Amino acid sequence: MPEINDIPCNEYLKECENDEVVGANNSINPHWDILFKNVQNIGYAALDSRQSDLNWYLSENGVTYNVYNDPNGLNRPWNLNAIPSIVEAREWETIEKGIQQRAELFNLILKDLYGKRELIKKGIVPQEVIYSHRGFIRQCDQIEYTTAKQLQIYAADIARGPDGRMWIYSDRTQAPSGMGYALENRLTIGRVLPELSNGIEVSRLSSFFQHFDNLLIDASPRKIDSPTIVVLTPGPLNETYFEHAYLASHMGYPLVQGNDLVARDGYLWMKSLKGLKQVDVVLRRVDDLYTDPLELREDSQLGVPGLLEVVRQKHVSILNPIGSRVLENPGLIPFIPGIAKYFLNEKLILPQVASWWCGQEKERKYVLDHLSELIVRLIDRPFNDSVFYGYEMNPQDLQLLRAQILERPYRFVAQERIGFSTTPTFINQKLEPRNMAVRTFGIATKNGYEIMPGGLARVAPGIGNSIVTNQTGGLSKDFWVVGKEPDDHKARFSLARPTNTIEASLDDLPSLTAENLFWAGRYVGRALSTSRFLRMVLKQMSFTNFNERKPTEKSLDVLFRAVTNMTCTFPGFVGDEPIENPVKEIYSVILDADRDGSLAHTMNMFFNAYFSIRNLWSSDMWRVFGRINTIWSEIESEGNVTTRRLIQVLDQLITRLIAFMGLVEESILIDQGLLLYFVGLQLELSNLNISKCRSLLVVKYDGQVEYEILESLLNSHESLTIYRHSYRSYIKIENVIDLILLDQKYPRSVAYRFNRLNKDLAVLPQSSASHELTNYEKSIFSGFSKLRLATRDELSRAEEETSIRENLDQLLSELSDLLFKASMSITTTYFSHSYQQNQLVNQSFDE
Amino acid sequence: MIFQVIHKTTYKYDNFVSYCHNMATLRPRDLSGQKLLDFKLDIEPSPSEINERTDFFGNYLTRFSIQEPHNELIVSSKSIIERDFNSIVASYNSSNCRMVTMSSAIDQLKTQLTADCLNARQYLLESPLIRKVSPVIKNYGTESFQPNRSVFDAAKELMQRIFTDFKFVPGFSDVATPLHEVFEERKGVCQDFAQIAIACIRLVGLPARYMSGYIETIPPAGQEKLIGADASHAWFSIFIPGFGWVDFDPTNNLIPENQHLVVAWGRDYYDVPPLKGVIYSNGKNEMNVSVDIREIEYDTQPQTK
Repeated sequence: MPEINDIPCNEYLKECENDEVVGANNSINPHWDILFKNVQNIGYAALDSRQSDLNWYLSENGVTYNVYNDPNGLNRPWNLNAIPSIVEAREWETIEKGIQQRAELFNLILKDLYGKRELIKKGIVPQEVIYSHRGFIRQCDQIEYTTAKQLQIYAADIARGPDGRMWIYSDRTQAPSGMGYALENRLTIGRVLPELSNGIEVSRLSSFFQHFDNLLIDASPRKIDSPTIVVLTPGPLNETYFEHAYLASHMGYPLVQGNDLVARDGYLWMKSLKGLKQVDVVLRRVDDLYTDPLELREDSQLGVPGLLEVVRQKHVSILNPIGSRVLENPGLIPFIPGIAKYFLNEKLILPQVASWWCGQEKERKYVLDHLSELIVRLIDRPFNDSVFYGYEMNPQDLQLLRAQILERPYRFVAQERIGFSTTPTFINQKLEPRNMAVRTFGIATKNGYEIMPGGLARVAPGIGNSIVTNQTGGLSKDFWVVGKEPDDHKARFSLARPTNTIEASLDDLPSLTAENLFWAGRYVGRALSTSRFLRMVLKQMSFTNFNERKPTEKSLDVLFRAVTNMTCTFPGFVGDEPIENPVKEIYSVILDADRDGSLAHTMNMFFNAYFSIRNLWSSDMWRVFGRINTIWSEIESEGNVTTRRLIQVLDQLITRLIAFMGLVEESILIDQGLLLYFVGLQLELSNLNISKCRSLLVVKYDGQVEYEILESLLNSHESLTIYRHSYRSYIKIENVIDLILLDQKYPRSVAYRFNRLNKDLAVLPQSSASHELTNYEKSIFSGFSKLRLATRDELSRAEEETSIRENLDQLLSELSDLLFKASMSITTTYFSHSYQQNQLVNQSFDE
Repeated sequence: MIFQVIHKTTYKYDNFVSYCHNMATLRPRDLSGQKLLDFKLDIEPSPSEINERTDFFGNYLTRFSIQEPHNELIVSSKSIIERDFNSIVASYNSSNCRMVTMSSAIDQLKTQLTADCLNARQYLLESPLIRKVSPVIKNYGTESFQPNRSVFDAAKELMQRIFTDFKFVPGFSDVATPLHEVFEERKGVCQDFAQIAIACIRLVGLPARYMSGYIETIPPAGQEKLIGADASHAWFSIFIPGFGWVDFDPTNNLIPENQHLVVAWGRDYYDVPPLKGVIYSNGKNEMNVSVDIREIEYDTQPQTK
């Protein structure tokens, strides 16, 4: 055992056999020595608190990894271990060459498989390895890209084998994830634990990302200065959605979903607020088969019908090309050396895991004879549920596996079991050896492949557990290539674009993002307005408001009915059946998430809308959003909730919603779509004000009751103080109507909001296109005129016989209709993807 | 013989369709014994884009988009096809067709690296609609396919058995009906019978492909009209190493001669649907297909002016 002075490190080394720390001749690798000293200087106790800082930092920044079917729901926090793993630059040089060689090989294979298919014709690769792989997409036959390389992005999963060399154990070619996490890990460690790298020269990632940016720009088939580049995501439910949003916002490209794009006239277009904008390059995170429901999976809602034809006509580049999943194929591994010889006349630089493809007789016999020692995989199913660990299986299951292999031998590959190296991992205040795997990336350049000098390291969740994936909840690590002299001439990380970049403008806003912002505005408005009203009602019910004066039965009844009307939770208090237990009903309107219109339901919609546009958020917004989420999940998990507790929760919710709204306004630019948020917010608040007034003001009540209702209205509207200040009088209906509806200087009045909508709507792309008003502008303009033409006296006059304020009722109902029309018109003008996409013939096939 | 085929598909939509993309496999391919003399495709409303290419299997594929709002789509193809299978059918009596046993066929597939054999091997693998086939279907196939038996005879018997055992019931199944359901119920339409046969043949280790096309309409006097005449038809083809592909029609218990007209082939129906597409609309649609086949007089000489 090598000796170093640090006792804990010595103890660590006693436990390990094949560890990253130990180099040739059983010595400590010099840079690990420095890293250990840096760790020692920090001290384990301090390191532990830094680990907490790391966790806090990542969760505050919303760095998450979704796990499908996770009982904890979406957004599992990303786990980053405090101790990076290290590889020496000299060794990395060889690894880099090996990955470059392999990336080039896969590029040539891809080109061949969808082109001449010489590998198959000449018998270098058995056709079954390709043709029975579900990632071989016959519809992509003969498609060629204009780019220098067919394969643009290559990712290799590498790990150190027992012979001390780095092995390639898996290839990722479809839409490799991890690049963004690797960058975020690096930035986070640099921020929280800068002293870890004291005395160590760590290769920077900046120039790699510069290459990545160049790759995207150069991939454009149109040779123009500023091609339109988009990041295509399956949406917020995807496991690596954080990364999609992160890369999009980091590189400054729009994050879009399939619905944002349309194929037309042989080109691909992005539906933006202004209309259609031609797209040149798509960085896709949608799986191959889901990218085009016309030609590929008919049931996909994640792709763009007709996309493949645009690719065929060379009018768009998709990175990586559709069809590249066929390379994620362990069945190819045994044939890679032959392919390398055929294409490059070279030997493989990096070793790969010994693999036997069961489509061959001799190999199949070997596999069946050694089944209990091997790992068996399907050639096109990388997921853990389709991997069979022969050495962990009982005889019965082995028998079943054997039968499966014999039935369709060409679908199976067996691999030898390899013990990969461990790396020091900071767990429970000490260092533990954990098995490690690293994913690193290659990017096509004009001359070859540029390899990321680093990567995303992942370590096993437990000691002796060699299965390393994120899906099963592993830890990640920063991965350092160390000891290389820095290239001073290379700039620090900044996306210095070679050409003029266009300024983002509202015109280019993807319509799905615009719609999400619009609804975000509507839901936040509804959440706030509803919370305030419900809080007021709860206070009335518990007599805690207004100097403990007990409200009349009658006024409470009117308020209850207003609750139902505002939230549209019919029948509620307005149904034919009287509600026997109003408390229970109010609780349900607040807490029952399954009830449309309830506050809980509104909050869920609010969470969804915000989550879908997370690439626009600042970290402060994420933090406040997190707090809102916490309050809400706490109350949802509590059993018996008291009225007092509910009021307290609503208080907290209201405060944070307001904080959140403030942050939205200062964090998102109008051109990024904030305008749509405002439009949504104002529409919703106007709408709810009108609904509230219709419930509370249209019917004239007698003295005390009317007073109580007016006071409640002002109270829920946060306008009581303003009222007292402005009118210095007893609360009267004329003044209330004046303040809440007509006062165009008061920001909470309906007139003010209509005026504001008038101005905001005028900025939207279609509005400024002509001198005529658009339909949505007409509705709002007409509403505003009606408010301006109305007088408080006419509005407050009630019919003698019916006690109904007819004029008020009519105005409010007209305004309500106009708002609805405006909202519909905005939706059809700008969010046109709301057209449903359907199959002509219903076909669906399980994969 | 020369045939004119008019294949008309009409879609009626409840709501207007603002935009649609479609793919049609309607232009018949040429093959030994069959030649396309003329082809015309009419689409209403008229497409804003239309183009044609050959697919992975060598079939013609037409892709088109319609941009104007419409509530009815009519796709109508007119093909003039010359079909002369007499000498091909006669060659089925040759020994290199009849005498190939199953075990020798399997052996030749492994060892013969001819282009034909290599190409045929892809039809051994499971395909989108024919996979995870249950052992009962395999057993059904094994009854006919015995190692020392002639592949041709076995395939012919399989065709006869499917014809006898299965009932032709239109509407019982659709594209998405799983194979085992068709098998258990012993009911279906031509594409189901073709796919059952293909499943059986692949499971015994021989290549089989799905044939899509038409069958002549007018029944000879006093005979029943053949099934599958009002719509597209489907049958299967089996590969006999050293000889080639031989077609069988299990729906009519016939070895296709001049009445069967091939449009396209693939691994199963999934590869060659006559028409599919994506529409942007809400609401339902109603489809109507008609196929009219007539033998015609046609001047095959190039016209001189």
